[in-house]
Amino acid sequence: MVLKAMLNGALVMGCLACALFFVRFWRASRDRLFAFFALAFLGMGFNWLALALLEVDDERRHFVYVLRLISFLLILYAIWDKNRVGRGKVS
Amino acid sequence: MVEAVYILCGLTSLACTVLLLRGYRRTRARLLLWSGLCFVALAVSNVILFVDLVLFPGRDLAVWRSASALVGIGTLLYGLIWDSA
Repeated sequence: MVLKAMLNGALVMGCLACALFFVRFWRASRDRLFAFFALAFLGMGFNWLALALLEVDDERRHFVYVLRLISFLLILYAIWDKNRVGRGKVS
Repeated sequence: MVEAVYILCGLTSLACTVLLLRGYRRTRARLLLWSGLCFVALAVSNVILFVDLVLFPGRDLAVWRSASALVGIGTLLYGLIWDSA
């Protein structure tokens, strides 16, 4: 149980650190891709925070995974958005 | 419904992996490589999630799920700190 909590805590911290890096890149380059990545990793961080705080049998547990899904969809949207803008510049 | 969310988590993370690594192959931007590797581990974590909660609900693979995700996030952090600045 302690190991699980520790791993989840490390994941929350890691995700927030990644999100901060992407915020820094976004501020430096003003590239929307980095802003989306920062948001996605923030979402993933909250996902693991909620998983660490909720009891194993808690029914709301399943809804937490929707947050993870939204984070992954944000990354997909960010890549699609980047490719679209890139194509626009070429033509 | 719940199973659908787990499956979609797995599929979207897999799609992220493919797109990021394909982007790396095209542009050779190191950040895309680290992000892609991160999503490889996150996809593995999501597959373990599905196996754990849907296929074999009696088993508790939570440590493996979190550990594989942590490997991914750790890889990305390594890349962000040492390689992409």
